[in-house]
Amino acid sequence: MPPQPRSLIASLPIPLWDVDAQAAGRIFDRLRAEGVTDLDAHLRRHPDLVDLACEIVVVTEANRDAVELMGAADPSALLRPVSYLFSMARETARRIMLAHFAGRRNHVEEAKIRTFDGRVRDVLFLVTFPVPGEQLDTTLLMMIDNTARLEAEARLRQIEADFSHAARLSTLGQMTASIAHEIKQPLSAILTNAETSLRWLAKPDPNLPKVRQLAERIAASAQLAADIIARIQDMAGKRQPRHGRLDLNDVIREALNFTRHDSEERSIRTRLDLAANLPPTIGERIQLQQVVVNLLVNSAQALEAVPPQEREIQVATYRADPGSAAFSIRDTGPGIPADDLERIFGGFYSTKAGGMGIGLTICQSIVAAHGGTITAGNLPGRGAEFRVVLPPNLA
Amino acid sequence: MPSPPLIAIVEDDAAMRQALADLIEVVGFEARAFDSGESFLASHAPGRFGCLITDLNLLGESGLQLRRRLQALEPSLPVIIISAQANPGARALALRCGAFAYLTKPVSDQVLLQHLNRALGQATPQA
Repeated sequence: MPPQPRSLIASLPIPLWDVDAQAAGRIFDRLRAEGVTDLDAHLRRHPDLVDLACEIVVVTEANRDAVELMGAADPSALLRPVSYLFSMARETARRIMLAHFAGRRNHVEEAKIRTFDGRVRDVLFLVTFPVPGEQLDTTLLMMIDNTARLEAEARLRQIEADFSHAARLSTLGQMTASIAHEIKQPLSAILTNAETSLRWLAKPDPNLPKVRQLAERIAASAQLAADIIARIQDMAGKRQPRHGRLDLNDVIREALNFTRHDSEERSIRTRLDLAANLPPTIGERIQLQQVVVNLLVNSAQALEAVPPQEREIQVATYRADPGSAAFSIRDTGPGIPADDLERIFGGFYSTKAGGMGIGLTICQSIVAAHGGTITAGNLPGRGAEFRVVLPPNLA
Repeated sequence: MPSPPLIAIVEDDAAMRQALADLIEVVGFEARAFDSGESFLASHAPGRFGCLITDLNLLGESGLQLRRRLQALEPSLPVIIISAQANPGARALALRCGAFAYLTKPVSDQVLLQHLNRALGQATPQA
């Protein structure tokens, strides 16, 4: 038996609907006759016109792929008013009407559809309208199923977030001694002040103004301890990124809070050169802090190779090209071997035994996600320099 | 009545510096607090202080300098270290370097005062 002749619609390997939109055309003609020129405003006043159009515009033909996408048993299930295509996308229907009314050739947008078997799919709607003079009102509707791609993207974002969270935990893990020290300071002051207060109160002539002063200091130290813990929780917690306006100088100062004690223990002198009038930047505070902390940890490790009296880290912020904030971190360590300069951000690069080498990779991916650049180089004398330039704040 | 012993405190954390000075004073001693080894040395004269209480890491650069200078100026001055570092290595090294006592933060007043009194070679004062 010779193969059945198939229509173009049936043979195309993409979900495709042939829609008779003449009814919509008649509504448009009537509206134009009534003097309606702004259909957008008119539909806002008469929202049920959208529902009406969805009921009177009908599918005349649908192909195999459309049947499959909709989870239908056979094509006849699809030959109905188009309302089933817009059950989750009423606004899409409205915008398709606007495009049709305006005489556009195409309309494309992302939307969600609910299939006959109850699944929700993310699709790209492509609608091609007839042009007057061509074939009578035959509107073609195509869909590209983006669900798998969007799910993959969401999974990738989740993996990236988990990865950077793991890196933060790893950095914090390396700094437990430093963190313990930070918290012990205010706790020690609280303990000593409380004990001193008790000693004053046990005296026959307690110095009450002094006890009041000590109680105030206890409160201040307790607040400080709470702030330190909140900062660590910020770093350690799993959280949705929050982008906002920030001052790069603050980010640097907060990051130095984390590494200060560690630097002192390693006899590293830290020189801070923060530029005044730095342009504000848009970014994720914790992630940018993570970049600074990772670079500082990286420099501190590099400085293990030189004697204590030669260990120095310079942190500077500066204004880069129009309106963009930048910082550099320089150390007096041995520098980066020339062969490694290319691959230093390439992932799992580490010169340290037991080092995971993910610190710089994380820096790179965070800076890139911010639309900035990170570069590594060696200084003319000796030592390495990392520069991070964030994009100008256009907001 | 002899004047009470003067205790030197070298501590870079302002809150802890004040707290230690207040504790020293409530038990009837006098305290002078310094934020660095350098400022302490600037005010040091042999015999002036009865004891030095410090959180300085004597293995670090500034601590090392302080130790060397004190060794030359007044080797008999007892030094009590109050450190946030609890590791036994740091403790052993500090004691080997001549520290009178090595206490870890947070330190209880009783423990600190016991060591201070031993360092000063006198009976426990009444609180």
